[in-house]
Amino acid sequence: MTPAGAINIHNVSKVYDPGGANVLAVDNCSMDIAPGEFCVIVGPSGCGKTTLLNAIAGFHEITGGEIRLDGRPICTREFTAEPGADRIVVFQNGALFPWSTVLNNVAYGPVVQGAASRPEAKQKAQSLLSELGLSGIGGRYPNELSSGMRRRVEIARALINEPKVLLLDEPFRAMDALTKGVAQEFLLQAYDRVRKTVFFITHDLEEAIFLADRVLVMTTRPGRIKQTLHVDFGRPRNFKMRASKQYLALKTQVFEAVREEAVSAFEAGERELA
Amino acid sequence: MAAAASVIQKRNGGFAPTLRRGTVSIVGILILWEIGRRFQFPFLSAVPAPTEVVRSLDKIITNGKFWNDWIASFTRVLSGFALAQLIGVPVGLLMAMNRTLRYLWFPPLEILRPIPPLAWVPTSIIFWPTTELSIIFVIFLGAFFTVVLNVLGGARAIDKRHIRAALSFGSKPRDIFWKIVLPATMPSIITGMAVGMGVTWEVVVAAEMIAGKSGLGYFTWASYVGGNYPQIIIGMVSIGIAGYFSSGAIRLIGKFATPWQRQI
Repeated sequence: MTPAGAINIHNVSKVYDPGGANVLAVDNCSMDIAPGEFCVIVGPSGCGKTTLLNAIAGFHEITGGEIRLDGRPICTREFTAEPGADRIVVFQNGALFPWSTVLNNVAYGPVVQGAASRPEAKQKAQSLLSELGLSGIGGRYPNELSSGMRRRVEIARALINEPKVLLLDEPFRAMDALTKGVAQEFLLQAYDRVRKTVFFITHDLEEAIFLADRVLVMTTRPGRIKQTLHVDFGRPRNFKMRASKQYLALKTQVFEAVREEAVSAFEAGERELA
Repeated sequence: MAAAASVIQKRNGGFAPTLRRGTVSIVGILILWEIGRRFQFPFLSAVPAPTEVVRSLDKIITNGKFWNDWIASFTRVLSGFALAQLIGVPVGLLMAMNRTLRYLWFPPLEILRPIPPLAWVPTSIIFWPTTELSIIFVIFLGAFFTVVLNVLGGARAIDKRHIRAALSFGSKPRDIFWKIVLPATMPSIITGMAVGMGVTWEVVVAAEMIAGKSGLGYFTWASYVGGNYPQIIIGMVSIGIAGYFSSGAIRLIGKFATPWQRQI
């Protein structure tokens, strides 16, 4: 059976430190993500985006509601499924293992899952790398690569596991605009190739529209979905679409939605949009 | 063009220029020392000149006893050092990964740590049946605390995202240990080794002076007691050379154990 990857988030709430500081981070948040959909969540800092991602990944518990993956509950009030290779996370600032070569980093998942012997996994990693235009760097260590290259390797390291869902937590944060653009196009190409469900968090509205099928705007804490915007551009996409009128109109629309939240976050004394 | 290229080559020549500079510097010091002795400079005049030392060295270098002192010190250092690694690294890792063990072991460790290794010599002699074992034990203690604290610190400072990423890829607990925690801690283990090795040479020499019947420390002290001043210098320089080669060995181990840190 091919992995589907439908995510249903139903009335999810998360209270940090209940009984103590009692901070409501996510409040009754619901969304349904179709298999293979590229879904981008934007919202001000501290709005609970990452909390939601960590709950899907199995790193955090939730205090109310339910998250299902292909109908199977993976995170509820009572129970949090172990993190697993069906939901791979790509972290902010990157988390390649500095002690492993690129090839060993990419081969890591299949090896620990016992899905392939070490030589098989390496071979698979090598062919995936060359498929994604990254051949020739397999023997290098992450600290020998540029930040853009590291992000690409990290996406390859996630894809080799054939996850149902890719969870990306601001993966291109703090990159310069040019490198970021190239990395985004790389992600789009990879997405066009595999069509996995993508749950992508960002602050960058431009990035959100460029990548997404659907942009979900979250409110200031406690986080809820404020607005949903469909991005009706075809795929494959490339950087040229960023100059189109349609794109600019959509950008204005998202900007207005987020601005309201940014202003209220600002007035509430939250940390500003990064 | 050709000239520029040759300059670059010389710069990247690596070992040869380092060796040349090192030789010049050491020979320079020896000459100054010799002159200082001959012309009765303050302080230096009391120290036997290099030529006297070399003459004395000529006598003992063929003497098996001197080399036995080398072997004795090296055996003690390596035994104590190896024990400190074999026990210290697992203890540090266990303390890093298990909160209960950390709370249990940390307080006694912190109280015992400031005690200088040499203060352990009397208890050690009472406790262990042979002098040899007591010296090795004191050396072990000298390196042990450094090793534990380095490993503990290194293993506690592991980037959480690496652990989470590994879990996300479906790692089992033993994968987390062998493939994440251990390599992530390796640089700290190497640092612990380097610092620990330095401590062991300090300790072995002092312990041999107090309690030894052999070894480079004993040799140096016995030479002083016997009034053979050139031999004191031979003892000191021998200890220096031994320590230098030990540190070199650790650097080599570090190079192989943490290849990702080699470049930059």
